[in-house]
Amino acid sequence: MPRKRRTTLTLPVDALGQAERIARARHVNLSVVVAEALASGLRIETARERSAQVVRDYQEAFRGFAAEEMMILDGIIPEMRKH
Amino acid sequence: MIDPAWGPFLFDTSAESWLARTPLTAAQEWFRQYAERFPVHISVVTVMERTRGYALLWRRESGERRRQIEAARIAYLRTLGQVWPVDAAIAIVAGEIMAVVAQPPTPAKRSHKFTESRQERLTRWRFDAMIAATALVMQMPLVHNNAGDFEAIRSAVEIDPARFPGFGPLELVRCGGLL
Repeated sequence: MPRKRRTTLTLPVDALGQAERIARARHVNLSVVVAEALASGLRIETARERSAQVVRDYQEAFRGFAAEEMMILDGIIPEMRKH
Repeated sequence: MIDPAWGPFLFDTSAESWLARTPLTAAQEWFRQYAERFPVHISVVTVMERTRGYALLWRRESGERRRQIEAARIAYLRTLGQVWPVDAAIAIVAGEIMAVVAQPPTPAKRSHKFTESRQERLTRWRFDAMIAATALVMQMPLVHNNAGDFEAIRSAVEIDPARFPGFGPLELVRCGGLL
């Protein structure tokens, strides 16, 4: 069971009304619905941050290489050499 | 356009770097959306080819350039998501591919700066067979930039499905076809 803390939030009226409707339909209290929505939103934000980091790392991994060097990095040619 | 949500996909070695280097905004956005949903799936063969490439470049350089190559290699190692090993099933399927298409379907690479020997071409072809076998066994579409080789494998699997029971067809997506 995760630890909980009471707090006060200011929320958009429409979203709050929708959350209250969901809570009534599911016979749970409003905190459960808000906590689920928050967790879902945080998962999306975490995924965005992770994605941005992956893209940054990939760009760093392949930045500054000439086309021939990329062919070596891609395993297309083993190395440069004279005929 | 291929929806990133249809993944995960297996990325061939050159497809992986294409996504990282493409100047196309749509491709960059596709990659960003894909990475939000899935790790980048690659074969252990790609890690081997890539690591060999960084090592070769590092060995022929010195000073600041060498330091840059090492930083790039470390950045690459940080990106590693899902790396698929060559297990027994993949080895069996790869062996079948290598038997059905025994010789590389496209010629060795040649330019004024380099030439690829027959042995090197054969090795590269066999690596491609292992990557295609990984896609078949893991039942993932293969994103690639090497139609000549992978289309030959796809055809071979279609022509002789009895040698690949339960593994076909090989789904291929060209990098440009993602958009």
